Amino acid sequence: MTAAAINRLGFVVVALLTLTAPWFLPLLVDSFWVDIYAEMLIWSLLAASVNLLFGYVGLLSFGQALFFGMGMYGVAIGVAKLGLGFWPAFGLGVVMATAMALVAGALAVRLTWHYFAIITVVFSLIFYFAALSWKPLTGGDDGLSFTMPPIVSIGEWELSLTDPTVQYYFIIAIVGICYALMGVILKSPLGSAFRAVKENDHRAALIGLNVYLIRLTAFVIAGFIAGVAGALFAFFGRYASASYMFYHVSGEAVVWAIIGGAGTLLGPIVGTSLLIILREELSHAWEHYLILVGVIVILVVIFAPKGLGGLWQALVRRIARPETPPPSTDAKGEDKP
Amino acid sequence: MTATPILEIDGIEKHFGGLAALGGVHATVDSGKLTAVIGPNGAGKTTLFNVVTGILTPSAGSIRFMGKDITDCSVHEISRLGLARTLQIKSVFHGMTVRENLWIAAQSRRGVFRPFTGLKACRAANERADALLEELQLTHLAGQEAANLSYGDVALLEIGIALATEPKLLLLDEPICGMGPAETERTVEKIRELSKRIDIVIIEHDIEVVFDISDDIIVMALGTVLARGTPAEISENADVRAAYLGDDDA
Repeated sequence: MTAAAINRLGFVVVALLTLTAPWFLPLLVDSFWVDIYAEMLIWSLLAASVNLLFGYVGLLSFGQALFFGMGMYGVAIGVAKLGLGFWPAFGLGVVMATAMALVAGALAVRLTWHYFAIITVVFSLIFYFAALSWKPLTGGDDGLSFTMPPIVSIGEWELSLTDPTVQYYFIIAIVGICYALMGVILKSPLGSAFRAVKENDHRAALIGLNVYLIRLTAFVIAGFIAGVAGALFAFFGRYASASYMFYHVSGEAVVWAIIGGAGTLLGPIVGTSLLIILREELSHAWEHYLILVGVIVILVVIFAPKGLGGLWQALVRRIARPETPPPSTDAKGEDKP
Repeated sequence: MTATPILEIDGIEKHFGGLAALGGVHATVDSGKLTAVIGPNGAGKTTLFNVVTGILTPSAGSIRFMGKDITDCSVHEISRLGLARTLQIKSVFHGMTVRENLWIAAQSRRGVFRPFTGLKACRAANERADALLEELQLTHLAGQEAANLSYGDVALLEIGIALATEPKLLLLDEPICGMGPAETERTVEKIRELSKRIDIVIIEHDIEVVFDISDDIIVMALGTVLARGTPAEISENADVRAAYLGDDDA
């Protein structure tokens, strides 16, 4: 099999497992793992937003939880305070996150590296404290809970996330759309421009690419993705809380993205799943389990800079039959000195 | 015959703190000629290129490219007007393949803000990239990451990237610096051939090459233009001989 065929097969297997998880997971482990799996997929979108910036455009953001929080509060405030229905609230959350990314990004992407990282932290801290102290609107420390509006209701019949099966499939549908969207963008001229900016921003400007606008576009798309994650998480937990906007959450997303493989589309799912499983399984048994996470991060950064996604690709390349070589151009090669 | 200037540099100054790297440079580059900029290290040649391409903002003076004032334009705007450049320290997209390097440069002319277009649909850029691979004889390396190329091939690729943007004027900053004799010959031939269809300004230390290929030479020293003329005129110029070529050699 060629590398592409192996990857396709792997993708189909994972997709089938994901689609059938509500049936087969309870046969193997406790049924709450179905919920945890859905939660992992939501969080993986936050890691994916880090990955889009870091892995493809070369911007390390420690503030993606801000946009997650905006998506989350957009939904919670929309439903609980404004009395919006399901889709308007979803829309409000995503629009708030995307708009926030546009404002924060307009300032932040003027800077690079540590200055960029610092300003993203500063932005997210400002809004974390704002959310914490603006109690009437956000519920502060206690968070803001709401009753779930139906997705659609036609007469007596309604579809709602209160049904666990509906909730599971709704989540994987939205998450799937987000990854498909990122996949399309990364294979477009815009995706090539992202990588050019990451590789060499001076050269990118010299060939006529507007580096600022390209970085800002990536930042807004990443904000959108994080916003969708936040909105989904609000529906999933039926509440919003400022604690999910803390920079600790942003930092976790960076770790998930790096372990999963910065610069690989589906790496964030792997990294997020692995570390959430570790957290679920180990945190009861050993309160200092984060030490282990730290060791894993160090090992990955040193020995597998492209993360688990990169290891997978290297493995596939090793076992795959090489692709048919391009038509020979030896005749031309001979004139070369 | 009066040549039309493609580039007009008028009183350009550039100060770094108290240091004047450029102290009022006046120069024009004529269309249809290959112009060389020579001068000892620290004369301000690369600084001048940096100012012209928008990487540095001049402290004073103005620059016109094809009649348009570009003094306050940003790097990408100047590139889009048709002014391409290679750098002294070769600058390509290392993690991308040779073809991707050429492709993105070609596509940048046609707009990259197309998030829902597949790469295959970008026909013009595909054709441009493939044509350049042929022209530069890099087709056999098309799928290689630029990081794996030899020094000479990277230099060639960098010129290819510049060409992919379809420039009217090409600035080459020491294109053969660090090359062996065979690579030098190949690159010089390429430059000579290109100069027939694109205006070129070249910074080069190899005086033999400069006198061989250029129509016009600008001699810089200490941040100003010392002399300007044909190779024959420059080799006769007493100031230049004193300041740069060295009296004894003549």
